[in-house]
Amino acid sequence: MKAAQDGDHAAYRTLLGEVTPVVRRAVKGRHPFLSADDVEDLVQDVLLSLHSVRATFDSRRPFLPWLMAITHNRIVDAARRYSRRAAREVTVAEYPETSDAAQTNRINDDYRDPEALRQAVADLPKGQRVAVELLKLREMSLKEAAVISGMSVAALKVASHRATKALRVALRARD
Amino acid sequence: MDTDTLIERLSEDAAPVRRLPAPWLRALLWLLPGLAIIAAVVVAVKGLFDPRMVLADHRMVIEEAATLVTAVTAALAAFQSTVPGASRRWLWVPLAPLAVWLASVGQGCIDDYIRLGMAGLAVRFDGGCMLPMVLIGFVPTIMIVVMLRRGAPLAPRLTLALAGLAVAALANFGLILFHTGDVSIMVLVWHFGLVMVASAVAAALGPRVLGWRHRASNA
Repeated sequence: MKAAQDGDHAAYRTLLGEVTPVVRRAVKGRHPFLSADDVEDLVQDVLLSLHSVRATFDSRRPFLPWLMAITHNRIVDAARRYSRRAAREVTVAEYPETSDAAQTNRINDDYRDPEALRQAVADLPKGQRVAVELLKLREMSLKEAAVISGMSVAALKVASHRATKALRVALRARD
Repeated sequence: MDTDTLIERLSEDAAPVRRLPAPWLRALLWLLPGLAIIAAVVVAVKGLFDPRMVLADHRMVIEEAATLVTAVTAALAAFQSTVPGASRRWLWVPLAPLAVWLASVGQGCIDDYIRLGMAGLAVRFDGGCMLPMVLIGFVPTIMIVVMLRRGAPLAPRLTLALAGLAVAALANFGLILFHTGDVSIMVLVWHFGLVMVASAVAAALGPRVLGWRHRASNA
């Protein structure tokens, strides 16, 4: 650590590498229920904290109590953050409805005339029609659609955008 | 980012750092400019400062000593609280001189009551002492905050409460030198009260003033 304070990058890298498993063990020991990702987040938080206050280490004093004081502080802080968040947020299985069923049931008038829509799609130029079929009707991702159609992602985006505009015009003209 | 990448980045970023001096040395570095300012103020208003009057009053000497020791120990404890792994026993030390100060002022209140009756316990507003107090306290406040921010914010509220106590006690130490002749109840309410308020306000501001620096860049 003394070498690291003097700017020795290699020594610092070795130190952080050796410190990490110790910190990880401490975090797991304190909060055995944490997921691996959360443990790693906390370990990284400790490393960043250690880094930002490395000037406070006095080489005449032992290193481990210094490290564990920082680790303990970050673990307690994280627990506090977690409980604060848990107190504010509620986990729900289903989101409560924000409006009544009559308003949300719009099956009947959403696609006013499915046949007219099908016809309008069929009338589109080939590129646009393929884009609509793959992206909108079969709900593929841009990458999947690009593989199947042989078009580039950019071309698919453009075609899909133009198709939407063309359909809007076609269906409005029909109304 | 995975942890190994983070280690790599941190070690690349590891510029040499100047080791922080020991807490007692930092407390001393903080105290000296404060004392210099007090000396300057005392010289500037020398008409009001009478060392014989201060020294003649036995209780006042105790009070002054207790205030100064409170300031020093509180500053020392504040600096100590920003060193990871340092002994936390120091954090209780300022309470002893603070208790002596409070006891001495309390004794003064009782004396005043015996001497003057209820008139000795009348509290009135005295704005005159506010300005020199702010003048004396300004630089030490800035200094201690800047110095504390170099340490680790392990307990920001406690650290700043101690810092507030240190600054307010130091300002009081300076103030009493040329503000003699107050009845004790005034000292108790305004001076001691202000110290408590300063400490409480500082504690409330703790997490805002002192915080882990990487949070800002990381969030």
